[in-house]
Amino acid sequence: MTSSPIWRLAPGQRLQHRCWEGECVLYNDLSGDTHLLDEFALAVLQQLAGAPQPVAALAAAFESEGATPEDDAALFDTILADLAALHLIDTLPC
Amino acid sequence: MLTVAALGQPAVAARLRGRGLRLQTGPFITCIRSASPALAAALGRMYADYPVMGEDISADFDVLLRRPRGLRRLVKPQVYFHYDGMEPFQPLPLAQIYPMFEWAMNWCVSSHAHSWLVIHAAVVEKEGAAVILPAPPGSGKSTLCAALVARGWRLLSDELTLVRLDDGRIDPVPRPVSLKNGSIDVIRAWAPHAHLSPPVTDTLKGTVAHMRAPADSVARAREPATPAWIVFPQWRAGAPAEMVPVPQARAHLRLAENAFNYSLLGAAGFASAARLIEQTRTFDFSYGALDDAMAVFEALLAQRR
Repeated sequence: MTSSPIWRLAPGQRLQHRCWEGECVLYNDLSGDTHLLDEFALAVLQQLAGAPQPVAALAAAFESEGATPEDDAALFDTILADLAALHLIDTLPC
Repeated sequence: MLTVAALGQPAVAARLRGRGLRLQTGPFITCIRSASPALAAALGRMYADYPVMGEDISADFDVLLRRPRGLRRLVKPQVYFHYDGMEPFQPLPLAQIYPMFEWAMNWCVSSHAHSWLVIHAAVVEKEGAAVILPAPPGSGKSTLCAALVARGWRLLSDELTLVRLDDGRIDPVPRPVSLKNGSIDVIRAWAPHAHLSPPVTDTLKGTVAHMRAPADSVARAREPATPAWIVFPQWRAGAPAEMVPVPQARAHLRLAENAFNYSLLGAAGFASAARLIEQTRTFDFSYGALDDAMAVFEALLAQRR
């Protein structure tokens, strides 16, 4: 049986951000990169900064009315994949 | 205060040949050495109002423009640029010594002035409000800058916007405005009284000439300005003048792309750029005629009154 991966903020980085009108710039001092994110992606990052967690816990934290669990899972999969591609998050080793 | 004009052409040439002419441009003092009479004449013509420091004053930048030794002096003569003993650039034809000096001065600041966030942008000011014009070559940035300056805006720089890291204000570094190809005749027609250097042909950028900075801008070179707008200009033949707001987060990224030392400054660069975005309104600006552009910038100013 496989367990759901636990997502975390990639270690060793300090992040700064500014948001204006629904869009945010995020500075990662580890890579030196500045990224353009929407406010929801930034909120997911901040949630992971609080504690590593699986998708189910993230979905519960951002529970939206009317959305099915499948909808939420697909949304988080996309956001987490995007943040991982930017090396901002990764999964805890087993 | 001793200026290049007050020092006089023979003394300027003698200092250049000797221990160096210590020229102040904005916050920087550059010690310039060269035996070239053409450079001495160009500095006398284009930097007449600039302060000259005594030989006991230490310089921020130490530059030498020299001709090659031996037969190379005679066959297709070239000019070499040295900075603190290094040669950061390939030599250029001797006829390009003055444009090379200007490009080298830009390089000195953009490569070393890390006490500021240095943005590749023109910046002008009127009524206490500065407009920053970041843009790649070919966007019409310098032409627009020269046109605004000829209509009474104070020149802070046509190439290098120096944003203070501590308070976000802009320190001027007014120097001659670089004009290329068609823009030379455009500005000649727009500002018949502006003093332009003789055009130099066949440079890497085509034909180039420089417009002398107004004396008032040089005299106020120690007076910082407060940023009010960031305008990304784009000249298009026949286009109407149009300002389109740029969302701030996207403007931040574009500002970072146009900064020479954003990455080098790290978190301080991010914070400085973010403060600049918060202090200003940000626009894309397309235009086809300078008259229309002037009206748009005056309207921006009027909205602040």
